[in-house]
Amino acid sequence: MRVPIEWLKDFVDVSASPEEVADRLTMAGLEIEGMEPFDNDVVLEVNVTPNRPDCLSILGIAREVAAAFGLPLKMPETEISGNPPVSDIRVEILNPELCNRYTGRTITGVSVGDSPEWIKKRLEKCGIRALNNNVVDITNYVLLELGHPLHAFDADRLQGGMIQVRKAGPDRTITTLDGLERELPEDALLIWDERNPVAVAGVMGGEDSSVTHETADIFLESAYFEPASVRRTSKELGLRSESSYRFERGTDIEFLVNALNRATLLMRETGGGTIHEIVDVYPERYVPAKVSVRYSRVNTLLGTALKKEEMLRILGRIGLRTEDREELFDVYPPAYRRDIHQAIDVIEEVARLHNFGNIPVRIPRTALSDGILNRRDISVNTIRDAMRKAGLTEVINYSFMNPADLDLLGLPEDDVRRRRVSVRNPLKQEDSLMRTTLIPSLINNFVYNLSRGMRDIRLFELARVFIDTGAHLPTEEMRLSGIFFRQDIPSIWKDAVPAFFMAKGALKSLFEETRVTELSYIPAEEVFLHGGKSADIMTGDKRLGFVGELGPGIVETLNLKLQKPEIVVFELNADMLMSLIPARMTYTQIPRYPSIERDIAVIMDDGIPSARVMADIRGYRYDFIAKVELFDHYKGKNIPEGKKSLAFRITYRCNDRTLTDSEVETVHQHLVEHVLLKTGGELRT
Amino acid sequence: MDELLSLKTAFLEEIDPVTTLAELQQIKNKYSGRKGLLTARLKALSSVPPDQRPLYGKTLNEIKDFIEETLGHKELLLKGREKEKRLLTEKIDITLPGRYTRFGRKHPINQVLSEIKDIFVSMGFGIEDGPEIELDYYNFEALNIPKDHPARDMQDTFYISDDVVLRTHTSPVQVRVMEKRKPPLKIIVPGKVYRCDADVSHTPMFHQVEGLMIDSDISFGDLKGVIELFFHSFFGKGTPVRFRPSYFPFTEPSAEVDIGCIFCAGKGCRICKTTGWLEVLGCGMVHPRVFEMAGYDPEEHSGFAFGMGVERLTMLKYSIDDIRLFYENDLRFLEQF
Repeated sequence: MRVPIEWLKDFVDVSASPEEVADRLTMAGLEIEGMEPFDNDVVLEVNVTPNRPDCLSILGIAREVAAAFGLPLKMPETEISGNPPVSDIRVEILNPELCNRYTGRTITGVSVGDSPEWIKKRLEKCGIRALNNNVVDITNYVLLELGHPLHAFDADRLQGGMIQVRKAGPDRTITTLDGLERELPEDALLIWDERNPVAVAGVMGGEDSSVTHETADIFLESAYFEPASVRRTSKELGLRSESSYRFERGTDIEFLVNALNRATLLMRETGGGTIHEIVDVYPERYVPAKVSVRYSRVNTLLGTALKKEEMLRILGRIGLRTEDREELFDVYPPAYRRDIHQAIDVIEEVARLHNFGNIPVRIPRTALSDGILNRRDISVNTIRDAMRKAGLTEVINYSFMNPADLDLLGLPEDDVRRRRVSVRNPLKQEDSLMRTTLIPSLINNFVYNLSRGMRDIRLFELARVFIDTGAHLPTEEMRLSGIFFRQDIPSIWKDAVPAFFMAKGALKSLFEETRVTELSYIPAEEVFLHGGKSADIMTGDKRLGFVGELGPGIVETLNLKLQKPEIVVFELNADMLMSLIPARMTYTQIPRYPSIERDIAVIMDDGIPSARVMADIRGYRYDFIAKVELFDHYKGKNIPEGKKSLAFRITYRCNDRTLTDSEVETVHQHLVEHVLLKTGGELRT
Repeated sequence: MDELLSLKTAFLEEIDPVTTLAELQQIKNKYSGRKGLLTARLKALSSVPPDQRPLYGKTLNEIKDFIEETLGHKELLLKGREKEKRLLTEKIDITLPGRYTRFGRKHPINQVLSEIKDIFVSMGFGIEDGPEIELDYYNFEALNIPKDHPARDMQDTFYISDDVVLRTHTSPVQVRVMEKRKPPLKIIVPGKVYRCDADVSHTPMFHQVEGLMIDSDISFGDLKGVIELFFHSFFGKGTPVRFRPSYFPFTEPSAEVDIGCIFCAGKGCRICKTTGWLEVLGCGMVHPRVFEMAGYDPEEHSGFAFGMGVERLTMLKYSIDDIRLFYENDLRFLEQF
């Protein structure tokens, strides 16, 4: 809402500087978002909250200024004297629940033309273009000044000399002032003449009955339309106007005759003509609300110690009539303050006008609570820290996904990640689905950074995915996903590790940090991963997630201009991971007796997974194997084609005595034979 | 006697140029070894005429002590030198870079979120959570924002269906928690929220922290106390905090909270649009309608709620001028935090 100070002064003699006015209004709840010098004037840009439609006018703002500075309010002249002729237009309201009051008047013999400079100037200051049409300009002028929308019809175009207010019904269209033919919703409230709709009530007039330079007689409307109905119609038509904006927030049903008269007088002043008697149909009388408030409630809710008289005086400043009744007081809000209808609304007014700054600060006296990080939050923190320490940087992406992403990944039709939720009104098509996997976002992050010259890209994200299960709300699950890429960067300390094992190692740190054990890796079947370089991570027979190199197909699609890049991604079900984190840990005694280490290196078929050999060793029935570590994996020189060498270090220990060398030697020999038998391999010497 | 003295002179001449422990060992053998010159002299002491024997013996012992002491000193000296020499050959260029594991970084939004959580947890607030895809009922209706209410225009909403939305704020969790639990309540709700809006200062997704405190005697003064305490922890003691009336359908009275501009100390600058104040949080006393919808008796309970934008606070904290940076995920940005 734009408010020129010069116009404001028509209503209140405020001598304070515009800055001072702006500050007082801001602290009274009417935030001044900007101040613009305009000729010799200053225009305030006021942010009016939806609960205060009474402030959508110069008068409304003036009322607040008057209250803030303790000044009287001056009202414009709206008395029409004399004995005007009776209007020959009849008004009928068929939907009184949507139109509580309809007033209007005919003015005959008006000359339509340019408005005077002062009107044009004020409209311009408020951001409204003058139209070389004093009648329309004046309806706009009064809308800005008094906050009440008016509409002027060409009276000679109203067939049958009548106005009817009723719903559209089926299959009805109208061409609105902006020249567009619009199909009307059945429930839309319309203004009709004897045959046709001539306006969409409270939203916009029709083109046919609009006031033009040929117009001689006008019919001026000032009515009260039910807010929710105007809002629905305006939304369904996709048509917002200064009028609908005010009607849908609520206008002053008691004041609309003043607005009508004010406009009438201005029209006569600028265009001459004969004023006719007002037509006023008022089927739903406004009943002033009475709100009772306990004095004590005001003080307990605000934390103040205001006296009765102070409260009543404060409310009097904005024109609220009050009545003291011992413990209570009654408030009779005026019709322009329909936002005040229960005690809390009155308490708010007291707080606002008393000034929030004057309410003493207090620290709550309330019981201790279990105000601690819950287990889930602690786990989330641990996971984030573990990923970070493993060298991954955290990203946050929008929760949206491109429909094309599902095809980029080549997911089969029955894949759970195809059970996506769509946004009905996305900002752009690429953001029209809710993510069912974080992988596409991470690939985007990777491509973005790669194309900007980054060569060491290790990222992770912890976020929700949304799976449509057919229930009212989709299932929301946490995913922990990451992407690894590291080009051979010349570096002083060499450390070449295939990307897959970097990622797997990072996950190892994560599992160690969260104390999640008993996981196994089996070949994965994700279509977008390299079949030979990907694994599902299993806990028992449940799949926790996967880790693997992006397959050649998808890498080619990305068109990266890199030779066989190793890009590894992983995605874990973070909810499942958190459920695996043990609630407590227990201490294990430090070994008291020394251990003995023995190594074993076996040449075997390349196809045997190391984990299987490891399991064979672990499974060997001997109580004193304390630890088995794989410390070498070798193919190449001195090893036959199709074979590999694996070397393990085995730690033997007994918890209640010192093992002897010869005892271990015997056992170790048996173990070696066991391994050779299981693997069909031979000792590497 | 002279012969003894020339022995000493000869020893001195021999030991002087010695630079290695091996050479020193030879001299040691020559003089004080089992077949050394001194040993031979001692053995031959009985052949010295008795009258000269005491003096001869004394002199011989003195020379022996002298030689052994000198040998000892020389040995220490040479050992020291050899150690120094060895260390010198092992010397490394200590200015070469160390091999280090580069840690990753936590996203700045999550760093600030953690900080906010820590402050409220230290005040005794618990942390709650709710769905990001939410029923219209919880996102609007139960928060006193009926359909066809102009307040719906305050938030541009992404719709999934007629009655399912992407939550536009974290406030729906208030209601979900109230339905499940009885007062007193002290909770915060951090999380992602969505609005159909994108420009330099708006992203379609952003983060909010909602707060709610309900008990039998919570006042607007308490709200001021808690919010002030928070901003003093977050931006530093003495940060001016002001409350001015505003409107949210689910609180009344409602307030916007401004802090004194941290860039110009309230003098007025580009960032605070010369007002000296920065808007950082919205809050208010829980509306009686919300209590009723959640099944609380507004006569028995009172409380406050607040909501703040994490991006906004992060931008202020690190002087970031474009909100979109948070979601571009450029490593050159992320690695600064």
